[in-house]
Amino acid sequence: MHVNIFPISGFVQDSYNMFEMDGEMEKKKKKKIKKKEKLEGMKKEMDIVSNDSYNELEMRYNTSVTKGMTSTFAQQILERDGPNELKPPKGTPEYVKFARQLAGGLQCLMWVAAVICFIAFGIELSRGNLTCFDDLYLAITLIAVVVVTGCFGYYQEFKSTNIIASFKNLVPQQAVVIRDGKKNQINAYQLVVGDLVEIKGGDRVPADIRIITSQACKVDNSSLTGESEPQTRSPECTHENPLETRNIAFFSTTCLEGTAATGMIINTGDRTIIGRIASLASGVGNEKTPIAIEIEHFVDIIAGLAIFFGFTFFVVAMFIGYAFLEATIFFMAIVVAYVPEGLLATVTVCLSLTAKRLARKNCVVKNLEAVETLGSTSVICSDKTGTLTQNRMTVAHLWFDNHIHAADTTEDQSGQSFDQSSETWRSLARVATLCNRATFRPDQEGIPIPRRLVVGDASETALLKFTELTVGNIMDYRNRFKKVVEVPFNSTNKFQLSVHELEDPLDLRYLLVMKGAPERILERCSTILIKGQELPLDEQWSEAFQTAYMDLGGLGERVLGFCHIYLNEKEFPRGYRFDPDEMNFTTSGLCFAGLISMIDPPRATVPDAVMKCRTAGIRVVMVTGDHPITARAIAANVGIITEGSETVEDIAERKRIPVEQVNKRDARACVISGGQLKDMSSDELDDALRNHPEMVFARTSPQQKLIIVESCQGSIVAVTGDGVNDSPALKKADIGIAMGIAGSDAAKNAADMILLDDNFASIVTGVEQGRLIFDNLKKSIAYTLTKNIPELTPYLIYITVSVPLPLGCITILFIELATDIYPSVSLAYEKAESDIMHLKPRNPRRDRLVNEALAVYSYFQIGAIQSFAGFTDYFTAMAQEGWFPLLCIGLRSQWEDVHLQDLQDSYGQEWVNIKMCDWLGTGFLLPPCLFVCRNRVLVSAIVFQLLLGNLLCYCPGMPNIFNFMPIRVQWWFVPVPYGILIFVYDEIRKLGVRRYPGSKLKFITSLTIFFLSITLSTVHPVSSH
Amino acid sequence: MATTEDKAATKENVSSWKDSIYNPRTGELLGRTACSWGLILLFYLVFYCFLAGMFALTMWVMLLTLDDNVPKYRDRVPYPGLVIRPHALDMAFNKSDPPKYAQYVKNLESFLQRYNDTKQESNEDCPPGDYFMQDDAPEKKVCRFKRSALSFCSGLSDTNFGYSEGKPCVLLKMNRIIGLKPRGDPYINCTVKKDNPIQMQYFPSEGRIDKMYFPYYGKNIHEDYVQPLVAVKLLLTKEDYNKELAVECRVEGSDLCNNDERDKFLGRVTFRIKVVE
Repeated sequence: MHVNIFPISGFVQDSYNMFEMDGEMEKKKKKKIKKKEKLEGMKKEMDIVSNDSYNELEMRYNTSVTKGMTSTFAQQILERDGPNELKPPKGTPEYVKFARQLAGGLQCLMWVAAVICFIAFGIELSRGNLTCFDDLYLAITLIAVVVVTGCFGYYQEFKSTNIIASFKNLVPQQAVVIRDGKKNQINAYQLVVGDLVEIKGGDRVPADIRIITSQACKVDNSSLTGESEPQTRSPECTHENPLETRNIAFFSTTCLEGTAATGMIINTGDRTIIGRIASLASGVGNEKTPIAIEIEHFVDIIAGLAIFFGFTFFVVAMFIGYAFLEATIFFMAIVVAYVPEGLLATVTVCLSLTAKRLARKNCVVKNLEAVETLGSTSVICSDKTGTLTQNRMTVAHLWFDNHIHAADTTEDQSGQSFDQSSETWRSLARVATLCNRATFRPDQEGIPIPRRLVVGDASETALLKFTELTVGNIMDYRNRFKKVVEVPFNSTNKFQLSVHELEDPLDLRYLLVMKGAPERILERCSTILIKGQELPLDEQWSEAFQTAYMDLGGLGERVLGFCHIYLNEKEFPRGYRFDPDEMNFTTSGLCFAGLISMIDPPRATVPDAVMKCRTAGIRVVMVTGDHPITARAIAANVGIITEGSETVEDIAERKRIPVEQVNKRDARACVISGGQLKDMSSDELDDALRNHPEMVFARTSPQQKLIIVESCQGSIVAVTGDGVNDSPALKKADIGIAMGIAGSDAAKNAADMILLDDNFASIVTGVEQGRLIFDNLKKSIAYTLTKNIPELTPYLIYITVSVPLPLGCITILFIELATDIYPSVSLAYEKAESDIMHLKPRNPRRDRLVNEALAVYSYFQIGAIQSFAGFTDYFTAMAQEGWFPLLCIGLRSQWEDVHLQDLQDSYGQEWVNIKMCDWLGTGFLLPPCLFVCRNRVLVSAIVFQLLLGNLLCYCPGMPNIFNFMPIRVQWWFVPVPYGILIFVYDEIRKLGVRRYPGSKLKFITSLTIFFLSITLSTVHPVSSH
Repeated sequence: MATTEDKAATKENVSSWKDSIYNPRTGELLGRTACSWGLILLFYLVFYCFLAGMFALTMWVMLLTLDDNVPKYRDRVPYPGLVIRPHALDMAFNKSDPPKYAQYVKNLESFLQRYNDTKQESNEDCPPGDYFMQDDAPEKKVCRFKRSALSFCSGLSDTNFGYSEGKPCVLLKMNRIIGLKPRGDPYINCTVKKDNPIQMQYFPSEGRIDKMYFPYYGKNIHEDYVQPLVAVKLLLTKEDYNKELAVECRVEGSDLCNNDERDKFLGRVTFRIKVVE
């Protein structure tokens, strides 16, 4: 075994000490350390030894780079460090999770109300009033609503499984370890620090390992760093940053190619990079969702109003002359009457409906409240690979005939192609076709070429697909040019060549084709093909080449040079023995054919989506693990960096002044790499985010992503990502969006939302739906608030002027929880105002779900009209049954007197024990044809409401159960004038809003119809004869 | 100028919450100027006045549509309830302790004032046994029901209505319902839920309610109408004292409902009585 004992050792600096300290500290760390500190610690860059010599490694771990550890010592270490697996964090107990579901804003309100009900019931009971069970029923109903919706929420949360579980799937089961000089296959969890392990293509790396020996070893780091290309792993230390250096392979990444690389384990279990990410992700707390904040604000308003009203009428009742205890009961009843019993259910159902609608549009929402979050989002931190881009290398540009030609990079090949008539193109295509080892997997005839599976590395795949698309039938083409010899790419000569026979059997020359790093290729060329003519490669062409190379490189593309030569027939006759190792053939003086550059191109829909975000006032920030140049190119391509925007560096270059002299505020765009970010203080980062509207972060580590997200988090931040490395940021974000196809399970679990089609454009749909649901929830709440007043005023009138109680508690519950739920929910189906995506995101501090104007409008204007409508109906019904309005006033005590069985009405009739008189109708309505065309769901909601109302009213047997009585059809029409009044009133108001735009009341416009409908409320006395 | 502004700014920081209640510089009270508040109050004044006006108007129109004498709908009172006097469903008294039963006696006495023979003299002596129909008459006459018809329970001969002797009288009356014409021959029958029945005396005899007292035409045009009464004298014996007795009385012999499941007062009444020796 060839072992390089002294790799590039570099400086043995603090990192050694840091690591040791880290290790010691971790040993000393008892669980008492506060979570926050732990989190801060994890946010720091991790220090992993990447540049110690093998001797040092051996010394430290008491191992050998050839023989491995001794089994006994490994056992000791295992006992010390614990097994090499990811420990699940201490999970929150299930009952705590469930309890959390019962302790939201609205829920708390309802708990308080239920307790008040119990107290009121207790007071009534102690006074010997055994007949009044309303309070008890109300309390039970309130608790039932909380518990049922709580179960619903708990179920939602339960479905999103434990985060750490998904990390476990990444861990390899078996590993080949060298101990005592012998190769063994053992379970991966038994590995310890210092173990020598062997990995080969297809294996998962069993821990964080330092590569000791390797041959063409490549690992797929994409889930960890976001780099879409396989990364070479070799013993040399190439970078200080452990994430960038080549001699460290990470736990859970896959080794794609290479035979039997060996490495020494330097970290196991939770101390590995992935382990730290896992604990980071599970350690980051979830932010409170904006909708939860809004609902709490709403609850504050409700509670304030309830107490205000309750207290006012307490004073009034005392003043009128009620006993203190009675006034207290009134106070409680008013407070409880303020609780919108149905709202919790309405909100939950509205959100679920939107979640369902989003799911149909490929956005799966895991946490219900997150549905709205996207609508409030003002910053999207997007990952590049796979989200903005297609996650596949594609040929983007070609340079031949001294022109840069753009290739079609769209996913479905719908773009424009370039001019393919040139003779040079045919030569270039031939080189690209022949000098390519990639092949299609068999049996893929039906699949579109861009989606076919290919055996080969990313750039060869790109070239294969490209040539298949442009030239066609590559396999056949290659067969015609029989391959004689091939020299594969290696990192020293940086080119790849092959020698082929010509397709013309009479032409006995060999064709040598070569591709590789452009500058290396150019070195070997003496001529250049221009329009099919071989011209000498002079200074002028060299310069043209350089310009093209720089241009393409500046686009963030990976450029390859192509050249060929027809080998001299005499020198290399048929049957000549080409030796790939010796290279006993011409490899210089070739003819340069052109450059082909490749990139992972943006998805076709992304620029449009980014544009839409921009018009919607949402800032898109790119945060990627990829290189700054590539990141910037893609950012420019998709519009994250707009045309004409310059970075500080650009300005410096343009003005030919040092970077320091540029006024940072002049630069709209800014590209910050992970290295720069490391040296920035959080204030500087905030500054940068504030000063540059167009930001790109490149080469960022998971910790840095987290820091970036935190810095953005003054406003509401959405984060997209697919890799394991994204999961902490996804968790930290107000809304984490994971990719459904490319996304790792870890990312999916940490996210609140999953894009099934991995398409950034779906986010725009999410934003739209989120904003829509916010607007619609406003309407739902306005509807609920409006309803509150006509439900409350009967009680107030009952207290103050002592009329028989028009609307009983049970009836209110029926209205809230049965008949009115569907109409409230149907508001979730309201169509978007057309300009919903042209508005800025709402300001979480100013644009509240429920504001003063809405409350005032609902309560004191529309609610008042409805109350009058209700009372009109009530008094009408009473009068028509024989109780004139003036008689009603002050009738309460007699009406409720169970001993009074001959109460006289206005006509002298004597009534038996008229116990109840329910104002059932608040929600019962006639569907005026006015709004038939408006919203189909609403119409069905109204039909539903009518049917249910009628069922409650007219179903035989109902009177026995709930004391509901069939009401007269005529009474349904009594409030119609008020309905018309509301309609006219709101039309006038709308006119005013239109004339004076910017009014706060604008959004209520569409409510008219609902108010109209609910005003058609009816009253009906219910008597037990 | 600048300094004052600065001062104002700092002051604003200090007293911003105070300003939200009253801002002395702009004269804003709770975030609005007096003028703004005035306008708002004016708006609500006009708004609520308008609503109240509309309410009054609809009430007025509605009342205009009502008949003075007959309620628009009478479906809620198809059958009369049965009530007792004295006005108590739980009676308990000591027969030898007058203050204990004085309230019942007083109650009965005042109730029977309208039935005083002197008053009833002016009323019509209707032909018994049939409805006293007077649909077309503009002035409805009232059928006479003399207090004396209640005999021992009239309170005339025994001003204590039998309470002092431990054989109390209870008056039963049917609720008035406009246009009610009971078919058959209604009479009151009382039972005691007890093993050995209690003797009872009914006045008028057999507890009959004569049909001539029906129908009732409403309080406006049938002003002095008096309902027919039935008195029940519970002839309690020594062994019935000191026990709580549940007495149920029903209207029998007619189409009037007396067995509604939910309404225990429809055509029947149950009261408890306890006489202490």
